[in-house]
Amino acid sequence: MDRKILVIDDEQPTLNMFRLLLSAYGYDILTAANGAEGLEAFARERPHVVLTDIKMPVMDGIEVLRRIKDLDPHAEVIVITGHGDMDLAIRALNLDATDFINKPVQRAALSQALARAEERIAIARSRAEDIPVTEVGDAAVLTLRGSVSARSEPMLLRAFESARALGAARLVLHFEENASVSGAGLALLTRLLSDARERGERVRIAGLSENFRKVFDMVGISRLVESGAPGELAE
Amino acid sequence: MSFMRQSLMRYGSLSLKNKIFGSILAVVLLISVAIAFVARYILVSSLTSELEMRGSAVAHSIAERGGTFMLDKNYPQLLSLIFDEARLHERKHLISYIFITDQGGEVLAHTLVRPFPSELRLANQVPLSENRSLRLVAVEGQSIHDIAVPIKEGLYRIGTVHVGLSKSHIDSLISKLRLTFLGFISAIIGIIFFLSNRITQYITRPISKLTRISDELSRGNFDITLDFQEEDQNWRPTECPAYVNTEMPCWHFDQSARQAATHRTCKNCVFYRKRQGDEVVQLGDSFRNMVWSIKLYRRRLRESEEKYRSLFDSGPDPVFVVDCADFRIADANPRAVELYGYEKDELLGMSYLDLGPENRADCMLSREGAPEFMAGASGSGAEGGGVEGAQAEVTGCLYHPKVLHYKKGARPFYVNVHACPISYRGRHAIIIAVTDITEMIEKDAQVIQAGKMKSLGEMSAGIAHELNQPLNAIKMGSEYLAILDEQGRAAEPGAFREVVREISGQVDRAAEIINTLRSFGRKAEMLKEHVDVNKPIRSVLTIVRRQFELDNIRFDLKLGEGLPPILAHDNRLQQVVFNLLTNARDAINEASGAADEGARRLIAVRTLPENGGVAVEVEDSGVGIPEDVRDKIFEPFFTTKETGQGMGLGLAITYGIVRDYGGSIRIDSEPGRGARIRLLFPQAL
Repeated sequence: MDRKILVIDDEQPTLNMFRLLLSAYGYDILTAANGAEGLEAFARERPHVVLTDIKMPVMDGIEVLRRIKDLDPHAEVIVITGHGDMDLAIRALNLDATDFINKPVQRAALSQALARAEERIAIARSRAEDIPVTEVGDAAVLTLRGSVSARSEPMLLRAFESARALGAARLVLHFEENASVSGAGLALLTRLLSDARERGERVRIAGLSENFRKVFDMVGISRLVESGAPGELAE
Repeated sequence: MSFMRQSLMRYGSLSLKNKIFGSILAVVLLISVAIAFVARYILVSSLTSELEMRGSAVAHSIAERGGTFMLDKNYPQLLSLIFDEARLHERKHLISYIFITDQGGEVLAHTLVRPFPSELRLANQVPLSENRSLRLVAVEGQSIHDIAVPIKEGLYRIGTVHVGLSKSHIDSLISKLRLTFLGFISAIIGIIFFLSNRITQYITRPISKLTRISDELSRGNFDITLDFQEEDQNWRPTECPAYVNTEMPCWHFDQSARQAATHRTCKNCVFYRKRQGDEVVQLGDSFRNMVWSIKLYRRRLRESEEKYRSLFDSGPDPVFVVDCADFRIADANPRAVELYGYEKDELLGMSYLDLGPENRADCMLSREGAPEFMAGASGSGAEGGGVEGAQAEVTGCLYHPKVLHYKKGARPFYVNVHACPISYRGRHAIIIAVTDITEMIEKDAQVIQAGKMKSLGEMSAGIAHELNQPLNAIKMGSEYLAILDEQGRAAEPGAFREVVREISGQVDRAAEIINTLRSFGRKAEMLKEHVDVNKPIRSVLTIVRRQFELDNIRFDLKLGEGLPPILAHDNRLQQVVFNLLTNARDAINEASGAADEGARRLIAVRTLPENGGVAVEVEDSGVGIPEDVRDKIFEPFFTTKETGQGMGLGLAITYGIVRDYGGSIRIDSEPGRGARIRLLFPQAL
């Protein structure tokens, strides 16, 4: 697997530090100081992972994201947001960004994001389609991995049906660490979960990276499901 | 001579009554004596001649009739003739004797009952040429008028008839007359005495009363009653509306004698009184009118004095009266004592310049009058008073805004000073009214501070972003080193150096941003310092430049080198710059959006020296300022933004700050063509 990564940021010191850090991770680093350069580099080199700062002059990160997705919808684009800037993160997700990292960039957050990105790439490559539904205790567990996006809709619907067919008392949506929910995915989940609630089904969410847990809170999905310690599959 | 003078003085010091009485008496006596003499003379002479004529007539008749008897030598007939004549009726008293002598002087007949006195025979001889002879003879101690008439027979004298008229008859007549006259005169004198007494009393009594009253008045005792004419029941001056209410004018009193052609009075004047009457009555009336006018005047004066004294004492602002000659404080009101912290007796006599050094020129200027005021006013040294400095009004008063004064203990505070020339006890002085504006200045400072806080709030998003960048770089650098450490690898020397340098540099950058923030938020000192205008501009740009550039606004900076310093506060200038830049950004955002292709989004900042001072220009390519707005734009709370978007204080505060430093603001703008704001600061002296 080639480990080409493109970093786009208008702050020179940040680019320098990224270069050093990512080289320590063993990547081949491409840097660009503004959106236009970044797009040009992407078109040329087609790295699989792109790290882009959102707040940049002339062409900001959102615009870059959009253009990159135009070129390659499957590209893993991780946006770098300012501390606590959830609005921008969600906007980016709506445009199919796959993850986001807060500044100042922590090692752990960076490595996790990169790991997830790689897993997703692998999953995408393996073309695993269906969402596995297993029975654990009195719960039907749907295991979600990789990108949950608009394309996931038919799979999700099928998974819900089979979960219901099991007749379990509870439904658990278990997101693997590498799961990334895009904006469309969020909308999809919201719709399915409200529907389940109206039917009176008890749904719980488990797993899910810290980042996306925050996103779920912000978007309101957390309210549609039963509260409880996340990460528990069964009581 | 001295006797005359003494007697004149004695006379002058007599009372009026005695003077009048004495004078009249003297005159009357003089006249009566004169009359007496004249009358007596006339009477006596006429009576005498009258009697003589009668005597002569008798003598002539005897001479006529006795002539024949003498020729006949009929002496008994002769005797009875003369006896008849002598005893006839009232002649008895008058004729003392009659005797006849012959030519030889022998007595032929006489009526004397006594033996004939011999000396009588020849006492009165008639000269031959005369027809009569009259002589006063003395007979037995009595004075007798002897009239001798010759008896003639033809031309021939044959004897003489002598008729003696007793003088005592005449004398008794005269003395009776004299007595009568005397009695009459005495009666006159008595009458005159009473009359003059009464009249003088009529005059002197009111006069002495008036004298007593004016003595009382001169001692300041105005409460005595003025009723010396008893018939004054219906005179009630307290009913006069002008007396009760001193604001109202009185026709009689308030007209100047020169102004009015005729003197007017109220239709029914309750106060002033002019009765018909003689001079005494009129004097009384006029005196009373005068006293009441004085009372009215005193009343007005006292009320006015009380009014102004209470204004002076209770005035909310300190007021000083300062003598121009030596700048000593002649008077100060209680508020001045309170505010400046000195005791009143410390203030009086103290030099005013210890409190406020800037008014030195006022005395001279105020004496020279208004035009000199205008010319000399700007040099009065009002600190921070703005370009206008002290403004002179037409009344000749000077106004110094925002001056530094010193309380007791040399504590400074800001005041507005108003100085007017007056004449105080005949000397040139100025009245100085001082308004303590410390509170106002503090409020100003608070408003500026509030504006600053608001600016800070606006800045916060940008600040957060700005600080995040260096923190990020530092974090990533140190993470890199941590990874190397974990993996047990050593860094390439170039990389290590780069990380270390970057970390250090970014810390500096963060520190600078924080410093700028802190100095921005600090409250300004009272005293100004020398500031290079470029410094605050650069500080603010450090904070906002990136943020603006993210919004696709470009900066065009032309900051002059070697600019002269100006007297200002660094952080207040930062606030001004920040305000102008945010206004420029807002204007640009109204004209175009951040993502608009080809939009001209530009802010140009220029500094250059001008007239010894410094000019600062901020020009934007925004939506422009229409003309009707341009005048109001500096008003507090005036904003063209929507509600909630801005309070409208930014430019007002900016204007205040610039004016404070003696500077000026000019706006050049046309709608659609952007705006240029030009600040001009004067040279620091």
